[in-house]
Amino acid sequence: MSLYEWDLVMPARWVGAANYRALVSTEFWEVVTNTVKYSVGVVVLSQTLGLGLAVLLNDRTRLGALLQASIFSSYVVSWVAVSLLWIWLLDPQYGLVAYLLRLVGLRGVNWLGDHRWALWTLVLVTVWKTVGYPMVIYLAGLQAIPGDLYEAAALDGAGGWQRFRHITWPLLTPTTLFLMVTLTITSFQGFDIVKIMTQGGPVTATMIYVYYIYEQAFQYFKLGKASAAVVLFFIGIVTLTFAQWLVFRRRVHYTT
Amino acid sequence: MRHALAVLMIAGFLGTAWGAAGPAAAQGPVVAQFWYSFGGTNREVTEAHIKRFNESQSKYKIEGTFQGDYFEALAKIRAAAATKTAPAAFHVIGEAIPQLAASGLFENLEPYAKGVNGANLEDYLPGQTQHTYFDYLGKPAAPLMALPFFRSTPILYYNAGMLAAKGVKVPATWDELRDAAAKLTVREGSETKTYGFEVPVDWWFWYALLHEAGGSLLTPDGKKAAFRDKGTEALQFWVDLVNKDKTMKRPPGKDYNAWTVTNTDFINGRAAMIFTSTAFLNYMTENAKFKLGTAFLPGKVKQAVPTGGTFFVIARDAPPAQKEAGWAFIKWMTEPAQTISLSKATGYMPIRTSAVNSPEMQAFYKQNPNYKTAIDQLRTAQRFPYTPALIEIQREVIQPNLEAAVLGIKTAAEIMQAAEAKANEILAKQQ
Repeated sequence: MSLYEWDLVMPARWVGAANYRALVSTEFWEVVTNTVKYSVGVVVLSQTLGLGLAVLLNDRTRLGALLQASIFSSYVVSWVAVSLLWIWLLDPQYGLVAYLLRLVGLRGVNWLGDHRWALWTLVLVTVWKTVGYPMVIYLAGLQAIPGDLYEAAALDGAGGWQRFRHITWPLLTPTTLFLMVTLTITSFQGFDIVKIMTQGGPVTATMIYVYYIYEQAFQYFKLGKASAAVVLFFIGIVTLTFAQWLVFRRRVHYTT
Repeated sequence: MRHALAVLMIAGFLGTAWGAAGPAAAQGPVVAQFWYSFGGTNREVTEAHIKRFNESQSKYKIEGTFQGDYFEALAKIRAAAATKTAPAAFHVIGEAIPQLAASGLFENLEPYAKGVNGANLEDYLPGQTQHTYFDYLGKPAAPLMALPFFRSTPILYYNAGMLAAKGVKVPATWDELRDAAAKLTVREGSETKTYGFEVPVDWWFWYALLHEAGGSLLTPDGKKAAFRDKGTEALQFWVDLVNKDKTMKRPPGKDYNAWTVTNTDFINGRAAMIFTSTAFLNYMTENAKFKLGTAFLPGKVKQAVPTGGTFFVIARDAPPAQKEAGWAFIKWMTEPAQTISLSKATGYMPIRTSAVNSPEMQAFYKQNPNYKTAIDQLRTAQRFPYTPALIEIQREVIQPNLEAAVLGIKTAAEIMQAAEAKANEILAKQQ
């Protein structure tokens, strides 16, 4: 399919590598850059926040359980509902965010309508929605660390930060690698949020990969070009996953 | 006991299957699908009329399905056409007709119009029909493939209360619009509480401005783009209003998302004047808590508007019985009685001369002068060039790129220059 040109109605026409050539000479690179920026933003922020929340809430109290559940609840709600909600919260004239900022004397920006901010706004909304997932995975990882390691460290006079750096963090590296790989793959598949909130705009500021494929296929009826983009996407993700595994496997400590 | 239960269940399943198969084999009305793209009020109106058609006769039964906005529906139509499951009847925007016709999607309606259940084509309002929508560029007219459904023009909606309060008269020219917008904008500190003017930065309104500035989209033979200079002037007008005067709000969102924002802002009193389709007139009249006024779009060198809305079409690949049902439905929908009720319920224009001149409509217009604006404005309607490149130029060359100028990312001149080059590329492929 990627070697043909097809608009769904006329019969498909062989064009060889023309679709690939068409891709690399247009806004394709901006799409790739946007996707990488979005992915890095989401992965770094949600993993860091997830880890922090897990460490903070790693107790057996009822309040802890309640907080964990409320944070995770946004993860299970539909993307469409979340996107619609945040469109209104972020509206520069009517939105709650703008209102709260005005209360403290700050001027908000046009979160979704300014091409400099739109992509980062989407990152923040995505992190808000998905931070429950790394939090829960890290909680599991934390609870797998044997408590006597901490006791031994405390007996040796290690403080909180040292315990984290020398016990918690190394023993969490398998969890971290797992989350990095899965969160990267999931963030590359971001679509619903763009479709509802910005449709790739303003101009192409929030055009990320999967939405670009959708637009080429179903708005411009260039199914050949869209298929070429899908092939490149597959190659890209596989390469990236393999690279991540190669780089980090030496640094991962597996306990038996 | 268990065996008896099992036998009962099997009998039950078989019974329902046999029951379901039964009516299908019996003689019933021919069922045909009609796909439409209206949400909100207009959707209810459409569904009500489908029901009325089904009740008015027993030969055909039309099932209506909502398919999202015009562009989403276009994707679904194409997908359905690829699998030969296109609905018997649907509607499309005018700009899409040449390309879809070239793909062989449409049934030729002339035999139906002249046939047993024919239509009086003479009575269709000039400006509404396929043949008056298109400029055939000196070539012979394309066969009749489309009947007008809901047709519209953009109009100026204004908050009469706000204009009266500031002593602003309804603008008739670009300069007057600029002045009026400045007077109507209300600022509180660094925040703009009310914008004087708002319009979606969209192809349809750009097309109006292009012609108001004295330009045209293509050369008379349709072979090359002709919109660069006047298109730049049109786009620059918006750029200045948004960035220099700061009296116009650019509604965010692509395609119809921006139109929704524009309507909402106007209803909420955040914008004093807007351009949008007459199709929303009923919605505005019911929801505005202020006195609503409508007027022609302000002109520059002249007054000019595109027409919009959609045309009924029949899928060529549908089974003949369904096509007949589809034709009966669309013919019925365009009859004077129906076009009157459809128009009154929405704000779209009636499409039959006899309907416009009927005592019922004349009385209605006296009571509701806003509904007459679009019909009167038809005399300034501009045609679209009949070329398969038209929809591509709209969707790929113009529509996605207008925003960048208003956002200050590129200048209007740069955008129109690139657009002209791309349009010429697309047109060259057609030759």
